[in-house]
Amino acid sequence: MVEIKYQTKPLDIWNEGKALRQQYYENYAKAHEKGGIRWAGGAWAYSAVPAGLGDDVWSLTGEPYGASVAFNKEFAARCQEAIEAKGFARDLCAYLRNYLGSVVLDEYVFGGKFPKPDFMWTTHICCSHAKWYQIASDLEGGVPFFCIDVSTGLIQDFSERRRDYVVNQLLDGIDWLEETTGRDYDDEKLIQAVYNECEATSLWAEICAMNKTIPAPLDEKTMYSLYVFGTIMKHRPEIVAFYRKLRDEVQERVDNKIAAVGNEHRRVITDTQPPWGFLEIFRYLEKYGVVSVGSLYTFSLIGAWEVKDDGTWGPKTTPQEQGIDITTRRQALEILADWTHARPEWQHFYSAQEKSDMMLRIVREWQVDGVMLHYNRGCEGLSLNIAENRLAFKEAGVPVLPFEGNMGDEREFDLERTKKAVDSFLELLGVK
Amino acid sequence: MITAGIDFGARNVKVVILEDGKIAARGTALTGFDLKIAAKEASEMALKAAKLKLDEITHITETGIGQGSVEFAADSVSEVGANAKAGVKLLPSARTIIDVGAEEARAVKCNESGAMEDFVVNERCAAGAGAFVEAMSRALEVELEQMGPMSLKATEAVPMNAQCTVFAESEVVSLIHAQTPKANIACAIHDAIAERVISMVRRLGITEDVLLVGGLAYDVGFVDSMKRGLGVEVHVPEFPEYVSAYGAALIARERAKE
Amino acid sequence: MFDKFKEWYDNRHDYAQAWKKRTGGKVLGYFCTYVPEELLIAADILPVRILGSHEAQDVTEPHIFGMFCPFCRDCLAQGLKGRYDYLNGIMIAQSCLHIRQTYSSWVKHIPQEFSYYLYMPHGVQTPHAYPYLRGELAVFKEALEKWMGRPISNKNIDRGIEVVNKNRQLMKKVYEFRKQENPPLTGLEAMYMVVSSQMVNKEEHNRALEEVLKELPNRKLNRNTGTRLMILGSEDDDTEFVEMLESLDSTLVVDDHCTGTRYFWNEVEPQEDRLAAIAARYIDRPPCPSKDWPERKRFPHILQLVKDYNVQGALVIQQKFCDPHELDMPALRKMLEENGIPTYFLEFDVTVPIGQFKTRVEAFLETFALPDLF
Ligand code: SF4
Ligand code: SF4
Repeated sequence: MVEIKYQTKPLDIWNEGKALRQQYYENYAKAHEKGGIRWAGGAWAYSAVPAGLGDDVWSLTGEPYGASVAFNKEFAARCQEAIEAKGFARDLCAYLRNYLGSVVLDEYVFGGKFPKPDFMWTTHICCSHAKWYQIASDLEGGVPFFCIDVSTGLIQDFSERRRDYVVNQLLDGIDWLEETTGRDYDDEKLIQAVYNECEATSLWAEICAMNKTIPAPLDEKTMYSLYVFGTIMKHRPEIVAFYRKLRDEVQERVDNKIAAVGNEHRRVITDTQPPWGFLEIFRYLEKYGVVSVGSLYTFSLIGAWEVKDDGTWGPKTTPQEQGIDITTRRQALEILADWTHARPEWQHFYSAQEKSDMMLRIVREWQVDGVMLHYNRGCEGLSLNIAENRLAFKEAGVPVLPFEGNMGDEREFDLERTKKAVDSFLELLGVK
Repeated sequence: MITAGIDFGARNVKVVILEDGKIAARGTALTGFDLKIAAKEASEMALKAAKLKLDEITHITETGIGQGSVEFAADSVSEVGANAKAGVKLLPSARTIIDVGAEEARAVKCNESGAMEDFVVNERCAAGAGAFVEAMSRALEVELEQMGPMSLKATEAVPMNAQCTVFAESEVVSLIHAQTPKANIACAIHDAIAERVISMVRRLGITEDVLLVGGLAYDVGFVDSMKRGLGVEVHVPEFPEYVSAYGAALIARERAKE
Repeated sequence: MFDKFKEWYDNRHDYAQAWKKRTGGKVLGYFCTYVPEELLIAADILPVRILGSHEAQDVTEPHIFGMFCPFCRDCLAQGLKGRYDYLNGIMIAQSCLHIRQTYSSWVKHIPQEFSYYLYMPHGVQTPHAYPYLRGELAVFKEALEKWMGRPISNKNIDRGIEVVNKNRQLMKKVYEFRKQENPPLTGLEAMYMVVSSQMVNKEEHNRALEEVLKELPNRKLNRNTGTRLMILGSEDDDTEFVEMLESLDSTLVVDDHCTGTRYFWNEVEPQEDRLAAIAARYIDRPPCPSKDWPERKRFPHILQLVKDYNVQGALVIQQKFCDPHELDMPALRKMLEENGIPTYFLEFDVTVPIGQFKTRVEAFLETFALPDLF
């Protein structure tokens, strides 16, 4: 085993995070008791927009929900069976199957019946996005459904005309929200949500950027529990508050050289969602002093980044930092669209090269020794172009381990085989 | 110095004993359910042939499935690591070593000193290659050993859907019903497996020389399909099944010296 | 009389190369039928759709992860094997994720003078898609002009629209004959006709269609029509399968495929703003499932085809791992069965196990032969 080099300790904020997450799922489930509104949609949705309907509007985002189902292997198996019995193919998005299976069974993974949403609000960038909620709406007896096409391409191509396409749909969406819920829409609340979302997602990037330090203050397994807030309620004030605190704590860890993994010896990154039921694979790596410091996925599905003056990646400057005063609905939506479409994890839908370049940048800036690519049978969206990414690493001389699995369907993950492949990779990294 | 390598394969456990770097003996046993018993049987066979006792061996390195299951092994190495080491020893110009066994296929790219540079392992698409030939030889009602020589007599290429084992199996059955000559079917089976394996190896890029090891390397039909599919010469060492065990023994020797 | 189409289909590469030599023009390979051929033709380019060859292959594994559809891998294999080396350019109109990878890998590994990714919207049901796509077409037109080194005039575009529209009208007329009690053409012939249109010069194709239309009224096929089937689902140009199917006392009378009706069903309705007219055509065409939301507009269209062509049963086929179609399949089958159309599901790969499929399809067809009870 590898010698312990650094001091380490658990995060102080850990329990607060846990409580926050629990509160979130409860708020959603109990929203109706207090006259509130529930909506369902993807983690990629423009979640700040329904915030204009009021402070008592709660959402359930499908991907993190699908992941929560995956943690509970017994329940996941039942969900998958239930949706397959309805004629849905086994190779479809695993989150989608877990979520829809849960709807079919009418069971909420956190207990009780599945809390039916009042409406569905989502975006479409992956081919499964709109179809997911189309089917969910069917299964729930015709829940009103609105979806925004965001497939407008790379951020460098996001011209005003293209942005208008998105913003016009969002404006229609707001009318639709008013009509569907019978509530009046409050632009002030929208504007506040936009500020919140920009700050929260920029803070997350700031936190991830601190992991450039050796030793890494956070390991990816811990990051999974923390980044999730960005996928469930990125526009809410409690998340901004939480990420501010977290940022301060991580900064402290950096200053005091407190490591996530005491025997950090080699640094790797991964790609795509991990096989949620088998996070022990990270523990296995740690035995040999190998720590995963993140991934394009954990950094930037939610995190907002920009290239800083020195040419490296850092947190994106928020509108409030730029002194921008948002005053109108349209302006709020334009800023939000620009912000949203610039997320790194949105770019790979259009170009393998873009994704390879971004990942190679992470390898350089985060001082990474090797890459583990999860060829994820559960997610066509993020596995897109993954084989080309592997070729790019090879070309750049970065050791890379592709391993097959599934983020949400344990039938497609073979722990023993994967460990064996990891062994070979460890030999390649010179630690075993 | 005496060292040994144990390779736990899906089908057989193989042992190679080295005396001053030279192969002194080999031993094998069916893997069965109990890895310990199989390891004991195979090592006893090798020890007997080498006229040695277990405690005369300085260092034992294991590889393959179920690592850590025998207490007399000092440490372990991955199969690809072992193959790289042994492959270059057997054929100094070897740079790509492809290992096809009963249940798994893997390949490693290495440098002139036998250190691995990249590898592919455990791909579903190439899994079960050896077992597949066995199942098909039963369907064709020919002895397994005859599959290879028979395949070389094929007169015509019959295309087969090579995308998945289940499809391929039902296709073989339809070919038999359609009175296709058995030699042609045998050849089609080998081609189909070779294609799956090659598909996987292409990820590494094919760097010559290519060395083919593992149980299926005994099958001349398969070797021929690999040559045609890759379009390059494919070398097969003597005792291809023992290459991983040999590599483990070589690594044991290096580690013992350290 | 349909031989010409088969010949074109079988010898697509020879055709394109000969065309290039004869005319000195440029050939552009494209993925997905959302590509606006009108503009390509206006620029005197020969658009050819890249399709697979239905042969087992071992070259795409390093480029595309095996969980993506066999069609997108088969297409890439053609490029990697050099079969399309004569292409001057390559493009895609944004459609499903799978085929985008083919484009991405192609651009990276196979040299070409011109490549273009057209941001075809997915939200074809929002009214904002019309001006949006119009804008995309304007950007695309500019790119083409730059590549070709000359402007594309309104007159050029009119010619492009006219020739493609004519092709659509003629093919639709041929499809009309399939409504007859005993159609004078088989589904296989129809498939060759449509797919070859995606590969050859449209004017030539139109001439061949006109010939066919002259003779069709007097054509009688020496075969039993049998059960009238519709085929629908993912990309399908598996002629071997269709041939087998029609040898079993059945006839394909209509389809919902991008190698069939989805390709040519609606026309460009001329308006002063040519690009807007073309945009509207692609927004309003029978959609691919990945663009068919929030409503499922494809379904009433399919039902209309069922009625018009007097369909008795439907084969729903799907390329393995084809998510867009997989997501629609349960609702689609339910809808058809509720309307009295039995369905049968088959999963396609690069090649299909013909023997096994034959047994299965036979069993399906037998259900139509059962005597009615009262
Ligand atoms: S396939 Fe992946 S990107 Fe697409 S909806 Fe599912 S989880 Fe999201
Ligand atoms: S729609 Fe289906 S068949 Fe067509 S490219 Fe996409 S996944 Fe493949």
